[in-house]
Amino acid sequence: MSDTNDARTESGLDAQTQRKIVRERYARIATENSGGKGGCCSNDDSRCSSAETAASADETARQLGYSEAELESVGENANLGLGCGNPRAIASLSAGESVLDLGSGAGFDCFLAAREVGETGRVIGVDMTPEMVEKARANAGQNDAENVEFRLGEIEHLPVADEAIDVIISNCVVNLSPDKPQVFDEAFRVLRPSGRLAISDVVLTAAVPHELRADPDSVVSCVAGASTIDRLEAMLTDAGFEAVDISPKDDSEAFIRDWDDEYDVSEFLVSASITARKPEAVDE
Amino acid sequence: MKEDLLDIVCCPLDKSELELEAIRRDEGEILEGRLVCTECSEEYPIEDGIPNLLPPDMREESAA
Repeated sequence: MSDTNDARTESGLDAQTQRKIVRERYARIATENSGGKGGCCSNDDSRCSSAETAASADETARQLGYSEAELESVGENANLGLGCGNPRAIASLSAGESVLDLGSGAGFDCFLAAREVGETGRVIGVDMTPEMVEKARANAGQNDAENVEFRLGEIEHLPVADEAIDVIISNCVVNLSPDKPQVFDEAFRVLRPSGRLAISDVVLTAAVPHELRADPDSVVSCVAGASTIDRLEAMLTDAGFEAVDISPKDDSEAFIRDWDDEYDVSEFLVSASITARKPEAVDE
Repeated sequence: MKEDLLDIVCCPLDKSELELEAIRRDEGEILEGRLVCTECSEEYPIEDGIPNLLPPDMREESAA
């Protein structure tokens, strides 16, 4: 089947296949109530199995820059240890702001963001995996999070009105999209003028080995779908963003190294903080 | 979903406003119902409090 999006896919997979396998993988993780050892979940399924404990997800979160207080403040089921950074830490949220989390998973970053924006603010999590959204909603009940809402949606087709959001956060998700330019176009559309993008994601520092590029396992574990810093900068600028900054995290090598059993993916993959701003006045 | 969130949801396809048809509510929250696009008439179900705003082709895939 021909798909006009195919040409934009970083991985060697077509867009439809990529969406399907990503969804299946994360549905499985949600159902098994556990996260992976590595950030975006490692390539080894056994690590994503029920043997993996919440303690390990917490340990991963510590490596990613979450504080003890943050971990303790959110119920344990919300943290699946699937991120590659702490987007909320780079987002500088203020009380009253509206936050949108792209690929909200079990809701960990949403619940932390909800505390910062307070009762006058609100947080919306969008995820395309039904099992994850159900889990997030159950966690919302446990966390007494009145100002957090989850919905099933696709980050390439956001069900969010124009200019409704102050800050977009996302943790190790955009690399999984087969159409990143459209994700950034949609992010731009829903942000208010001067709205901010604060994303943690993996970026490529060198070419992905040929064998990994079209390997489904490698795509779903956040390796083969990643883009280079230059490419991401171009996508964000094309979408209309300004003040684009993509800063690799120096200390990410340690946890990224474990994401694949065969390859040391830290040789070509690094976690980065990606920030950008929608201009104050947009030319129509 | 909470009813006051309605002002910031939109149709994922054409970004038009959605109209709420609530079937079951609980303390200001809509547990069952549907959101209907005022432009293309596409219906998006709300089940167990979760609005399913996936594009229709993705929705069918997930039901399989």
